[in-house]
Amino acid sequence: MKAPARPRRKEPKQPELFINRELSWLAFNHRVLEEAIDATSPLVERLKFAIIVASNLDEFFMVRVAAIKHARAEGDTTPDSAGLTPERQLLLISERAHEMVLRLHEMLTGEILPQLREHGIRIVSFDELDAPQKATLSRHFRDEVLPALTPLAIDASRPFPMLSSLSLNLALLLGPGEGEEQPRLAVVQVPGRLRRLVRPLGGDNNNYALLEDVIRAELPSLFPGQTILEVAAFRISRDAEMELDDEGGRAFVEQLEEELRKRRRGQVVRLEVDDRISEQLLGLLSQRVGVGPDDVYRIKGPLDVRALSALIELPTLEHLRDVPLKPLPTLSDAELQDIFDVLDQRDVLLHHPYESFDPVTALVARAAEDPDTLAIKQTLYRTSGDSPVVQALARAADAGKQVTVLVELMARFDEQSNIRWARSLEESGAHVIYGIRGLKTHSKICLVVRRTRQGVRRYVHLGTGNYNEKTARVYTDFGLMTSDRDIGEDASAFFNAITGYSDPPRMKKLAMAPTGLRERFLALIERERRRAEAGQAAEIRAKLNSLVDEEIIRALYAASSAGVKIQLNVRGICCLRPGVKGSSENISVVSIVDRFLEHARIYSFRNGGDQELYLASADWMPRNLDKRIELLFPVESAECRAKLLQALDAMFQDNVKARVLQADGSYKRRRPARGEDPFRAQLELYRQAKAASERARAGAGVTLEPLSAPVAKA
Amino acid sequence: MARPKKRTLSRKPAADVAPPPPEPVRPVAVVDMGASAIRLVVAEAPPGEPMRTLEEASRGVLLGMDTFTRGRLEAPTVEATLKAMEGFRRIMDTYGVVRYRAVATSAVREAQNRETFLDRVRLRTGIDVEVIDGSEENRLTYLAVREKLKGHEALTTGDALLVEVGGGSADISFLRKGEPIHSGTYALGSIRMRQNLANWHGSHEQRTRLLRRHVQNVVGDIRREMPLREAKHFIALGGDVRFAAQRILGEQNVSEDGFRVVGREPFLQFSEELAAEDVEQLVERYRLAQAEAETLVPALLTFRELLSETGAQSLTIPEASLRLGLLLDLLRSSEEDGTSLLQFRRQVLASAYALGERYRYDAAHAKNVAHLATRLFDELRAEHGLSERERLLLEVAALLHDVGSYVNLRGHHKHSQYVLSVSEIFGLSRDDMAIIGNVARYHRRATPQKSHLLYMSLDSETRVIVNKLSALLRLANALDADHLQKVKDVKTTAEEGTLVLEAEGGGDMTMERLAALSRTDLLTEVFGRRLVFREAATRS
Repeated sequence: MKAPARPRRKEPKQPELFINRELSWLAFNHRVLEEAIDATSPLVERLKFAIIVASNLDEFFMVRVAAIKHARAEGDTTPDSAGLTPERQLLLISERAHEMVLRLHEMLTGEILPQLREHGIRIVSFDELDAPQKATLSRHFRDEVLPALTPLAIDASRPFPMLSSLSLNLALLLGPGEGEEQPRLAVVQVPGRLRRLVRPLGGDNNNYALLEDVIRAELPSLFPGQTILEVAAFRISRDAEMELDDEGGRAFVEQLEEELRKRRRGQVVRLEVDDRISEQLLGLLSQRVGVGPDDVYRIKGPLDVRALSALIELPTLEHLRDVPLKPLPTLSDAELQDIFDVLDQRDVLLHHPYESFDPVTALVARAAEDPDTLAIKQTLYRTSGDSPVVQALARAADAGKQVTVLVELMARFDEQSNIRWARSLEESGAHVIYGIRGLKTHSKICLVVRRTRQGVRRYVHLGTGNYNEKTARVYTDFGLMTSDRDIGEDASAFFNAITGYSDPPRMKKLAMAPTGLRERFLALIERERRRAEAGQAAEIRAKLNSLVDEEIIRALYAASSAGVKIQLNVRGICCLRPGVKGSSENISVVSIVDRFLEHARIYSFRNGGDQELYLASADWMPRNLDKRIELLFPVESAECRAKLLQALDAMFQDNVKARVLQADGSYKRRRPARGEDPFRAQLELYRQAKAASERARAGAGVTLEPLSAPVAKA
Repeated sequence: MARPKKRTLSRKPAADVAPPPPEPVRPVAVVDMGASAIRLVVAEAPPGEPMRTLEEASRGVLLGMDTFTRGRLEAPTVEATLKAMEGFRRIMDTYGVVRYRAVATSAVREAQNRETFLDRVRLRTGIDVEVIDGSEENRLTYLAVREKLKGHEALTTGDALLVEVGGGSADISFLRKGEPIHSGTYALGSIRMRQNLANWHGSHEQRTRLLRRHVQNVVGDIRREMPLREAKHFIALGGDVRFAAQRILGEQNVSEDGFRVVGREPFLQFSEELAAEDVEQLVERYRLAQAEAETLVPALLTFRELLSETGAQSLTIPEASLRLGLLLDLLRSSEEDGTSLLQFRRQVLASAYALGERYRYDAAHAKNVAHLATRLFDELRAEHGLSERERLLLEVAALLHDVGSYVNLRGHHKHSQYVLSVSEIFGLSRDDMAIIGNVARYHRRATPQKSHLLYMSLDSETRVIVNKLSALLRLANALDADHLQKVKDVKTTAEEGTLVLEAEGGGDMTMERLAALSRTDLLTEVFGRRLVFREAATRS
């Protein structure tokens, strides 16, 4: 399949109407940082947010900053839609990123770590240890660390070693050798495969030494006979030559490290150093890795705070965490058992993580067992081999059913294990497709084809999030399960297209990127605009993760100017500038950053009162509309629509975790107005889901069966 | 005419798996290899419910481009076809399809390497593709049109022209009250016309003018065969005209009834506008694929010229296709639906009458002979063991056995054979027409000989059919030797070694008896019985 070529505008028109996407992203990460700073939050949650901020930044530098630096190096001076040249963007990014890093580490070392210490979790410095503890660490060094070390002396005749991106290293300043005048540079890599937090005494105390400190103490033995003038930890970030994944914060980096194994050759785009480094050593180091002063970040306290995520899971910190919100059941066990009967009668809309993912797993599991199942077809994007969905697919294939699975490899978390389970699915007889050339498959769809006495029936699950039971506990997503004939037919056509059995079809109810989704969105926006011009009330509400696409933004401006009321709920990047007279005065934008990662994409169009509600796997970003295989699907049953609308209303009603985007590009926290109760959408939605679940359970005990009028039997 | 060929896919049962419980209906599939795409439809018809499409798939493969320029299908095209068909096979397997019909039209039919091509498809995918000719295509498409235009006035009152412009040719039928009375296949294929112009270096305007002149020439020929002016309705089929309708009416305007109606003037105007643009402009403006854009202007100009010749004020564009016709045919034949067979016979006969009229046949004689021949056929079913299909061929041969007299009374049986072999009768294939021609050939004195080329070119099985049908026609024709239709009916009784023929009618039958006895040679040979003639009691 080919994405239709889109003409690109060279000169930005009205740059004042657009917000630069990188700065908007930094603003998003700042909102995450606010959650880490929020002293009213439980400590572990704050630590979690702090780690997310840091790993988000890692990703941002390796991907976005790297791309812009690359453009600048190529001599590109074309301004973006907001009118900023690469040069100017890099300057602004560096400025804001420095502020952010400073704030983050001040907060970590000044607030979070000291407070953890109060709860008995201590990151101890080497000096704080007694002799037996030091001896334990020395032994640990000799047995575990030393075999993994390669000290590297650097001199002018040797190239600087290819240090891995994001790896932690120690830079050493060595006294001049014989006949030399200048001190020399040496580098010791801190082995990434070893645990960064080392327990000097073992047991269940919660004192930790940092691996780099353990190595630092033993350095003299690594450089015998040489004078070590100075030691400082540093970390570099390289151009990862890859695209950002929009599936959320922390998981990025885990995925990235895999990718990076093959991509070490990238340019260094950032150098982080221990704040205490001398100018001499820093000068030598930045010269050798090739970065300028704007790219150097001095860090107070430990570098690479991702290592602290080990603390998040500590059982002793239970009281410092959010009260867990366990996903609630929506269907009874009997209904899960007879999921097909349920779907024959009604559509089911699931709202994760408030509601459990079980019905989706049940659909695939029942389909695998059911002798009437003819085929199961599914897209799998970021799923692990031990997932119940994958296991059910394997059982189905073993049972001789036609199983077609599209595995998106570019998004793999662990390439090796991914390929292994995909291969084993193939061996079971499944038809496995490893992606579509040039297009990433981002749509989330599962189709079950069954034979019944009434003919062939199709059951479809369509989602805004992945078939991943783990992320389904953290990401907010919607999933629709239906046996609607048109959607079923479209689903089949979709799979025929991605398996290459058919050219991309014209669909009845779904819309697919890159063949028609953009046009569909534009047509839907345009229709509201025309209705507004005709004097009708017109309204668009959308909840999404990123709003970047210029064509869509311009369509929204046109609609706003015609009088369409537009409410947007954009978690992350938003390049649309709201509240500009003559363009966007009818547009408001809020963003929610809370304990769950907002991930669902909801699109609602008033349509003259005949309101249309859609869910999608796609954001309003060029890559979603042009470079990805995505799906937009309608929510049509009255019950599901009511549920979806209620959720959408709640997301716009939030006055605790919502921030309002201002015309100047900054975000202001929304506060309850005088006399208004605090409304935290995520907790409210959980409360609603719980009430619904309890109602259902209460009702399940007694079955009320209305009798129809008696019919005389012939 | 539909050969009830058994097309079934063999499928291996999965090892160690209990076979699924028997299901009442399995879905069926049809495949259509056209000039620019290969298409699949899977459908089902659960008992008591209307047919339902389960899946449609389509792969753009430019078979026509190869065949119409180089006369053969080139390796990349063959590969693309195999790939497409493999995918289709997988889709069919999803539903456990066993019954299917896969057909190929002119782009494969005219390819020199069609046999090897179809063999490769069969070996690679297990799908047996049958090459059908224009008249079978017409018949199937017409089935689909009837379905989509059920009760529409274009099929119930007055005359209508049914036009489908395909890649290789245009199929045109003239319908009177819904019955096709003339039909033919004409050199107005959109791809072929485009290809013919491909090597001609001229401006876009000059090319369009040339194209228009070609279309007008062919339309001139059609005008001589069909009373185009009398057509009050114009039914148009094909992707190009559907595209035009969408553009003229707007995307959303898909009729719930399964068809669209476009006014004469808007259509003429739209096609004229389009003709002014070259292919690149069309691709750009309408976001079309190159292949789609290339056929658009030739096809729309063809519709335009034909429409101008008729009195129709609008185009009726049903959502009908060869695929739908194939499906209806496939599902119908499984139901052994008697009424639709009857309907098919009526359509064939209407077309045969129209052909007879064109050659000024003696309608009363023709119909009497046809009646007697089919009566004999029915009486002797146990003897000849032939099916309804052969009965219809006999009926048509009997109706048209004298058309050669229009050329010359001398040797008119030979002229009949020639005329019939080049004529088109709605719903009958070229093979069918060859049988009819041969049967008509032997209605007089001569019987089949080894020296008769057209007879010998038939396979042995078909020759036997010709022998049997000729034997019956000779006898029936003899029974109306004086063209006075004295014999109204016949009955036969088989007695030991003889066949007693009882003729009912009025008046003196000496002449008929003598004639009949002189034409029993073939009958005796074929059925192994001597004929005894008996006059039944006069009831006039």
